[in-house]
Amino acid sequence: MPLLELNEVTIRFGGLIAVDSVDLVIEKGEILSLIGPNGAGKSTVFNLVTGIYPPTAGTITYKEQRLNGKKSYHINRLGIARTFQNIRLFPELPVLDNVKVGRHCRSKASVFGALLRTPAVKAEEKAIEQKALECLELMGLDHKKDEAAKNLPYGEQRRLEIARAMASDPELLLLDEPAAGMNSTEKKVLVEKITSIRDMGLTVFLVEHDMKFVMGISDRVAVLDYGRKIADGSPTEVQKNPDVIAAYLGKEVV
Amino acid sequence: MGLLDGLLPAYYESILITVGIYIILALGLNLITGVTGQLNLGHAAYMCIGAYTSAIMSMHYGMPFIVAILAGGLLAAAFGVVIGYPTLRLTGDYLAICTLGFGEILKSVLYNVPAVGGAMGLAGIPPKTTLTIVFIVMIIVIISMVRVESSRFGRALVAIREDEIAAECNGINATKYKLQMFSLGCFIAGIGGALWAHKIMVLQPRDFGFLKSIEILNMVVLGGLGSIPGTILGATVLTSIPEILRFSSEYRMLLYGALLVAMMIFRPHGLMGGVSFNSIAKRGMRWLKPGDKPDDKPGQKGMGG
Amino acid sequence: MLSNLLVQLINGIALGSTYALIALGYTMVYGIILLINFAHGEIFMAGAFVGLMLVTVFKVHIIFAFLGAMLFCMIMGVIIEKIAYKPLRRSTRLAALISAIGVSIFLSNLANLVFGAKPTTFPPTEEILFKIQTYELIAGAQITNLQILTIVTSAVLMVCLQYFIKKSRIGKAMRATSQDYDTAALMGVNVNRIISYTFAIGSSLAAAGGVLVGIYFGVVKYNMGFMVGLKAFTAAVLGGIGSIPGAMFGGLLLGIGEMLAVALGLSSYRDAIAFGILILVLLIKPTGLFGTQIQKKV
Repeated sequence: MPLLELNEVTIRFGGLIAVDSVDLVIEKGEILSLIGPNGAGKSTVFNLVTGIYPPTAGTITYKEQRLNGKKSYHINRLGIARTFQNIRLFPELPVLDNVKVGRHCRSKASVFGALLRTPAVKAEEKAIEQKALECLELMGLDHKKDEAAKNLPYGEQRRLEIARAMASDPELLLLDEPAAGMNSTEKKVLVEKITSIRDMGLTVFLVEHDMKFVMGISDRVAVLDYGRKIADGSPTEVQKNPDVIAAYLGKEVV
Repeated sequence: MGLLDGLLPAYYESILITVGIYIILALGLNLITGVTGQLNLGHAAYMCIGAYTSAIMSMHYGMPFIVAILAGGLLAAAFGVVIGYPTLRLTGDYLAICTLGFGEILKSVLYNVPAVGGAMGLAGIPPKTTLTIVFIVMIIVIISMVRVESSRFGRALVAIREDEIAAECNGINATKYKLQMFSLGCFIAGIGGALWAHKIMVLQPRDFGFLKSIEILNMVVLGGLGSIPGTILGATVLTSIPEILRFSSEYRMLLYGALLVAMMIFRPHGLMGGVSFNSIAKRGMRWLKPGDKPDDKPGQKGMGG
Repeated sequence: MLSNLLVQLINGIALGSTYALIALGYTMVYGIILLINFAHGEIFMAGAFVGLMLVTVFKVHIIFAFLGAMLFCMIMGVIIEKIAYKPLRRSTRLAALISAIGVSIFLSNLANLVFGAKPTTFPPTEEILFKIQTYELIAGAQITNLQILTIVTSAVLMVCLQYFIKKSRIGKAMRATSQDYDTAALMGVNVNRIISYTFAIGSSLAAAGGVLVGIYFGVVKYNMGFMVGLKAFTAAVLGGIGSIPGAMFGGLLLGIGEMLAVALGLSSYRDAIAFGILILVLLIKPTGLFGTQIQKKV
């Protein structure tokens, strides 16, 4: 039984078909990368899985539950966490609080609990802080915990997004262009972090642009072009696939 | 009870009561607009509901003051839910217009309902609001707000303000939280209104119009949207200064208008943007422990964004 | 009953055509910088006062007073944008909206200080314009020459605007900017200038509406902009904010609806009804009658 399964998933925006009956399977414990030229619909796939857009057709199944029509916050609670291509942190909040927000779906104090500050609520707050610190440590950001998120450099903001996603104890982690805008040293650190996340038992699904990065880290690669899946296989297979080469380099004139 | 009453000359006691009530009202609005970022241009409407409800409770049903206050708060909160449920799905400026529209509708209904006095208003409300009561309620509201701010609920609200989609993807049911926060803010406004009714003793619909909402908004904006100490400062300054300087109301509103523009341009995060009681406490600890270097400056982190 | 209804229908068209004039300013500004220009109602009020001053103090002919008010508000609108909105173009929409509310409060209270809280009356129509005459229409309906003038003037201005937006270079640049601000800027449109033009045109139309309303009702007051402004905004939302034909249509619809409420004996609730319509439209079809769906960007 795959962890996540997309079955003929399609979404239309007016006349544009952004994702065109895509089938995709993610097995537990693997690192799957979704690649493709700009505008191929990669981020849209993430937005479909996380409930930001409802699919026009097709089904998305996660651990035998249909995700179609479920709200983003519900999907997060089921064990899927994500980052965004154009970093979406809570800029005015301190780094630590950003990660604490990520823990939201695994905690339950209500407004009244917060007002009365019962021992249970206090204990939960402590546990949230503990978890947030662990996640920051994992991503190497614990020394920046009191800074406002907006003041972090770009690469650290990307890592902070991953830390925030990790705080919800996800089983499936969606990373949208995690290496974008990073230099080669930062990328190297990132590869280590993602591998260690996988070694913790998580499944990683990532969208990337950087071929070298993708080929080095992925167990499997799927390729999207104009909303359609044109290839799916091991990194070496995909690299040799003539359709993929055509999509990236442009078709030869016959 | 009554520890604080009669210690000061009546005039200053009256100013302090007014300041206290506005701090309560402004903290309710700060929760809605400052913390969660949902611009509410009809805060006075919920104050109005609390004021009328409590006044009727006291006058017609002879209820104890505490019951009248709570009834005012609860009915305001109920209206908050009824109005908030459909409108909070709207984005920023449309929500603002809806809240404004509701305020004006309420005013026009009150004008036309003889049972609550119509345009003449309600008169003869017993003067039960004392400085002690206002002070106690204010302290409870401040503590509650500080607790909410530092809870998972409070963080969720700020997350919604900063980026609603990211908040939803991090497990936050934004619609539910916005509604809870809105009704809590309205509850506080209702309580403020109840205290107000039993201070001024006469209620007229026109006292709860758009300009009253703007007056309260100004306090939050001056102090710093989202900052509890800032809101307290803003409410104190804007209530007491015009009172002491005896500004006529035209000049005061002229000043308020200019102030809103100037604050947005030059200091969008207010006088104390980003300052919370927690950050003040942390700073205080550093002063007490001279070994630590004060490496961050909480007073400046909210600037310029 | 029928004749009363018809009378109110015509009253509604006359009132609605002034709402439409003012609604255009809201819709144009919103279309370009996504700001509810709260101060627009006060520009309308200023237009009415300037027209009145020109007629009574400076003894100018009403036509020149009309044009003078338009010119004054044109400049005023541009200055307001430069002072209160331009510095906030890159900050949050909440900040810009609060600033707009500030301008609105400031201007209405300034008018209160300058002109007083009591309504100021316009000179009688026959002194400045013509003697009011009533014409009989079918089924007992009546229309006055003043109503005809109001409707015709509004219609002429709106046709001119439509022509300008569709045909002129600036009009095309305006449409481009409202569709995609950043791309228009990249394509060499001077966005700052386009925004100034938008404020200039919108404000002058509001001033025209102000003078027409002043003559029509015979009084002007410092706080007249608030209610009329909100109703015009309602009209813009009703038609679909950002859409120019929508604003015209929404204005007429709101004016007629309001007058029908009066005909049905609900005159003390007319403001509440206008707001009720606004809230319902926002909840049921926030894009209005002519608006287009905007896809949320992630």
